Amino acid sequence: MIELNKITKKFTLHNQGKTNILVFNNLNLKINPGEIVALTGPSGVGKSSILKMIYGNYVFQSGQIKINNHNIDHKYPRNIIELRKNIIGYVSQFLRVIPRVPTIEIVMEPLLEINSDQDEVREKAEKILLKLNIHKNLWNLSPLTFSGGEQQRVNVARGLIRNYPCLLLDEPTASLDSVNKDIVLNLINEKKDKGSSIIGIFHDEYSRKYLKAREIDITKISDAK
Amino acid sequence: MQPILSVHNLNKYYGNQVGCKNMNLTLYPGEVVGVVGESGSGKTTFINSISGNLIPDSGKILIETGNEKINFLEISESLKRLLIRTELAFVHQNPRDGLRLDVSAGGNISERLMSIGQRNYGNIRQTIFKWLDKVEIDKSRVDDFPRTFSGGMLQRLQIAKNLVTSPKIIFMDEPTGGLDVSVQAKILDLLRKLVRELNLSVVIVSHDLAVIRLLADKIIVMKNGEAVESGLCDQVLDDPQHSYTQLLVSSVLQV
Repeated sequence: MIELNKITKKFTLHNQGKTNILVFNNLNLKINPGEIVALTGPSGVGKSSILKMIYGNYVFQSGQIKINNHNIDHKYPRNIIELRKNIIGYVSQFLRVIPRVPTIEIVMEPLLEINSDQDEVREKAEKILLKLNIHKNLWNLSPLTFSGGEQQRVNVARGLIRNYPCLLLDEPTASLDSVNKDIVLNLINEKKDKGSSIIGIFHDEYSRKYLKAREIDITKISDAK
Repeated sequence: MQPILSVHNLNKYYGNQVGCKNMNLTLYPGEVVGVVGESGSGKTTFINSISGNLIPDSGKILIETGNEKINFLEISESLKRLLIRTELAFVHQNPRDGLRLDVSAGGNISERLMSIGQRNYGNIRQTIFKWLDKVEIDKSRVDDFPRTFSGGMLQRLQIAKNLVTSPKIIFMDEPTGGLDVSVQAKILDLLRKLVRELNLSVVIVSHDLAVIRLLADKIIVMKNGEAVESGLCDQVLDDPQHSYTQLLVSSVLQV
């Protein structure tokens, strides 16, 4: 369960004339277990910002964010680190990895946090990579030289290899062809059926309909715009 | 869970000059804390003051040793030396500062082992090989002198030398500082793996925000000897609150 209560978020750009940008005012949102919420609204309205606040990347000035009843509180970074380890998964738009680390190890990493059986984890990573049509020949290569679509699928594999109770998806299907898009969407549906609370940004209507997502127009739930 | 290291209100002055002022840090087992800031901001003074290389003027440094909390600044010199040889490790920016150049690679790795009382040649030799393998240095180089090693190899040797006794807390001052980018990537990969495998707790100083983003869980941003901002690493880098951090983050060149 993900809950946002009365969130206010602003950016203060100290070095650009102390410009204040109010992004959200009195933002309220709730995502239940086994539900997918799709954020909609024009570019720049703050869709990614919501995901980043939930994941703890962005601070907010007032209000409350609760993940399975745990507060996101930046005064206690240790708690956010624990939440990320155990409860919140995040598939970002772009892959950020150490150069020269093989694809298979990148995918295995989140699972190794909770399972130290290398062979078992490797098997699971291979399974999901196969499912996502990442050819075996690529597994021992760094994904940095892969195509955009391949990188995205590696990112998805890494994000979905575990069953997180809460899942944040930032355009997980943006640069995929229709076959691979359906594969990713099916994986997301599996997570929903397992009871994850899922919130995401999906640019195409096809994905949102396929996932039977509850669509939320951000401009309608925050007073800031 | 208890922090393995906590630093409270630490101050270090050089005469009237501030080295670092009012510094705090909490490090949990398995956690990596990055310290960033421009040169002269006090990063190295801070890490030296909490690792036994410098004596701070005031403050508290608590180290959890498993059964008790030790105030690092109040213990005897001999206990401090013992801790530095066993529970703590320091990886210098310049590996030549952390290695003995006229002792073989194997000899460098075995030094800490012998200092904690290991004497069996066969066992020591085996541990040396295990660590050369971990840091990807060919076994055949075990009896060579470090001065015949490349910069990247020297840094990996320094890491092996420090980690061989499974210290609980590792301090690193710009560990990838003087290395070219391909070697830097290799060291970063190695450090990430070791942190996870051995559940290492690390304090790492770097002026390179990209290095810190890849390695650190938490971050401290320093300016003029003080911490201007601290917290969760990617939060501070993605949504910096202090004007200096905003300047620092926006000054990074995009590749």
